[in-house]
Amino acid sequence: MKKIKAILENFDTEYVEDYKKIWIKAKLQSSDALLAVAKAVQDEGLRSLSTVSPTDFPDRETIELNYFFEDLQTKRNLWLKCDIPRELEKCEIASLTPLFPGAEWHEREAYSMFGVKFLNHPDLRPIIVSEDFIGKTPFRRDFDWEQHEEDVAKNVQAIVDAFKDEQATNEVNLDPESSETVLNWGPTHPASGPIRLRVHCDGEEIISIDPDIGYVWRALESLVTKKDFVGAIVAVERLCFMDNINSMVGYCMAVEEIAGTEITEFAKWMRVILGEVARISSHFMGLGGFFMNLGLHTLFMWNLGTREFFLDFLESYSGARIATASIEPGGVRYGLDMTMFDELQKALDQFDNTVDDIEMIFVNNPTMKVRAKDVGVLSADEVEDYALCGIVARASGVKTDIRIDEPYAAYDQVDMDYVTRSNGAAADRFKVLFGELKQSVDIIKQAKKRIEEGVASGEFNPTKDHMVKVPKKLPAGEALSRVEWARGEVLMHLVTEEKAKSPYRLKLKAPSFNHTMMLNKLLEGQTLSDIPLVFGSLYVCQGDLDR
Amino acid sequence: MNTVIDAFLFPGLFYALVWTVLLYWFFRKFMAPLHKRVGPHFNGPYGSYQTLFDLSKLLTKESITPDGVNPYLFSIMPILAVITALLPTAFIPWTPSYPVVESEYGLLALIVLIGIEPFLLFLTGFGSDNKYSFLGGIRVLTQSISMETAFFLAALSPALLFGTLNLSEIVDQSSWGSFLVLIPGFFLYFITLLGLLEQPPFNIPDAEQEIVYGFYTEYSGTNYFMLKLAEFTEFMAVFAGAATLFLGAYKGLFFDNYLCFFIKMLLMAIVMMILRAATPRITLKQMLHFSWRYLVPISLLNLAWVMLAKNLFFAGV
Repeated sequence: MKKIKAILENFDTEYVEDYKKIWIKAKLQSSDALLAVAKAVQDEGLRSLSTVSPTDFPDRETIELNYFFEDLQTKRNLWLKCDIPRELEKCEIASLTPLFPGAEWHEREAYSMFGVKFLNHPDLRPIIVSEDFIGKTPFRRDFDWEQHEEDVAKNVQAIVDAFKDEQATNEVNLDPESSETVLNWGPTHPASGPIRLRVHCDGEEIISIDPDIGYVWRALESLVTKKDFVGAIVAVERLCFMDNINSMVGYCMAVEEIAGTEITEFAKWMRVILGEVARISSHFMGLGGFFMNLGLHTLFMWNLGTREFFLDFLESYSGARIATASIEPGGVRYGLDMTMFDELQKALDQFDNTVDDIEMIFVNNPTMKVRAKDVGVLSADEVEDYALCGIVARASGVKTDIRIDEPYAAYDQVDMDYVTRSNGAAADRFKVLFGELKQSVDIIKQAKKRIEEGVASGEFNPTKDHMVKVPKKLPAGEALSRVEWARGEVLMHLVTEEKAKSPYRLKLKAPSFNHTMMLNKLLEGQTLSDIPLVFGSLYVCQGDLDR
Repeated sequence: MNTVIDAFLFPGLFYALVWTVLLYWFFRKFMAPLHKRVGPHFNGPYGSYQTLFDLSKLLTKESITPDGVNPYLFSIMPILAVITALLPTAFIPWTPSYPVVESEYGLLALIVLIGIEPFLLFLTGFGSDNKYSFLGGIRVLTQSISMETAFFLAALSPALLFGTLNLSEIVDQSSWGSFLVLIPGFFLYFITLLGLLEQPPFNIPDAEQEIVYGFYTEYSGTNYFMLKLAEFTEFMAVFAGAATLFLGAYKGLFFDNYLCFFIKMLLMAIVMMILRAATPRITLKQMLHFSWRYLVPISLLNLAWVMLAKNLFFAGV
């Protein structure tokens, strides 16, 4: 940490301060120095750029850019800020993509949403937004949504024509002599989900892949600014339906940090239990989906059977099975009736009954090994350069898990270890996923025991301890929170104004964004059969890809 | 009159229809417990009307012909596929009083007619003017070429053992002894059968996660039904071929009749289903590798073994 501070002292900074345990927060005087600072910290070992988050301040006529640098090995992180002018013509900054390849899509996103131009970016096309938003800046504070709707209504025919044109000219630019063709893998494809991969292929061989995303763009980051602090959780949990609870935990932590609230021990443990149940329900679908992509539906069906039991617990707790809205700033939304743990125990028993069969038939499946042990290989270096996280990083042997690196909720008291493998192939990611499923069940058992003991000894009052009051109006401030989501790191950057009733800006960095970026690199030169396999093994959810 | 019965009742169109409807239902119902599901449930006893309803739905739905395809090629292929799939039934000795066409070259007719089918399916993909269909068609072709070599060699082993291509005679001469000699041949036949019928782990041509539905992609309504009928009739032809060549056709433990034949075919369908529930798909490259590196050499070895066994054990026959 001292080394990083020493590096920053060489540059003109407004301030350099410690933030939380493993972060340094700094602001540059001028955006010109950014490239040099980035180079210096990269040499120091902070090789991953998690995300780029612009915040728009129309009053100050600036856009503040936030860069989050991480070192996955030594767990030192840097939060670097700098201001750039807000006018569209001058809204420029040097691109970090040549140094940090993982920044490519994040800079494209900032360009599409805020109109920030990144100089020297290799491929600065709009991303996520649909045709009618191109050239506009939907996430700036003064964006006129009503005017936009009028524009769309007026130009709807032109937009439709442009879309059709784009479809029709799919192959126009290809060499007519070659046998190269463009295959639209999605958005209506049995295994794609709402994403479109433009697969340039020659027969079965893949030449290159250009992912086209944004088919489920809900503008969640803009939506939360129109809701109050509690209402925003329903937008945050819709990051992805499969693991919605941990994303709410991250958001609530950020709100609590600004409000200065400390939640109760009981609520912390409840967050652990609910979060792990959501993680299990997501991992079950991930495991099943992996085999589904190999043309085998059995595991998916088996997993859904067991998953129902875990959803029963969520239902008994919150009344909803999927979108539970059960984490709120200040704790968890409902008190705990101890009979709800009976449901949880049923689910754990069901899991213990089926896990051995799954391991024997599917995890050790010889055909799966033949298919998946050599494709989609990611080295540990690539993981760091592209800021990959979650199971993808751990399957390549990088020890990163925010539950351990930067413990939140009650994870500091949980006995757990990194689940890693070394080869980084698709099969390894599947096995890490399975290992984490077992780990999550183990964590639930620990948390359940802890709560039961606490209630028995009178330490916890399960009907009253679940919430502490968080004021409705928050002071001005900003907070950064990270949680280990089912798919990896979710980083939330929350900014509030004085006496704010709703978030001023919330940046959601979700892991699938980086993982989808890797598709071209992983699949170049492979065959069409490997697309669903590699795509499935990256454990991508289109919900958090587009947000 | 007899010809009409043969062509439209048994072992012709009606028989194939009943087989398709029942087998389709059986596949669904049998897969369900392997998946920990219930399967068809509400329509009729054990949901057995489900496929009948599906059939009537498909027959009454609009058959969409996409823009830009040759409508004749597009619509004639399913019909040709059904007819070609039905023809082998004429050569199968279902009971002692069959086959319909008594021929010295029954085995040859059987494997040739089974071998033509993939080319028709390739043409359906070729005629659909769709990239996924075309890829599916190419995959059918690649797979059938590499699988058929081993398939033919395996199917020839009983002919070598008994010294005849006449299917009735093969059944007549078959015994427990010949069954034991032909076991390796039967396994080879069964593996290549999975490849020819595009069943897991060789369901590469209609791999829905990769190329949508292969050559089926553009087909709907009646045309789709015809293709499915052709697929299931093909199942019947290939299973019946296996039962005739290796398992003694209608010969049973206690009595000889069609029921024994049916049970043998059903057993093969069950094994195929279990494989379907437990094996992921392999890639085209791996299939080619497996076929030419292992299956073809082993089926040649199998022929040598059959010749040897013939001279050792059946020299007097």
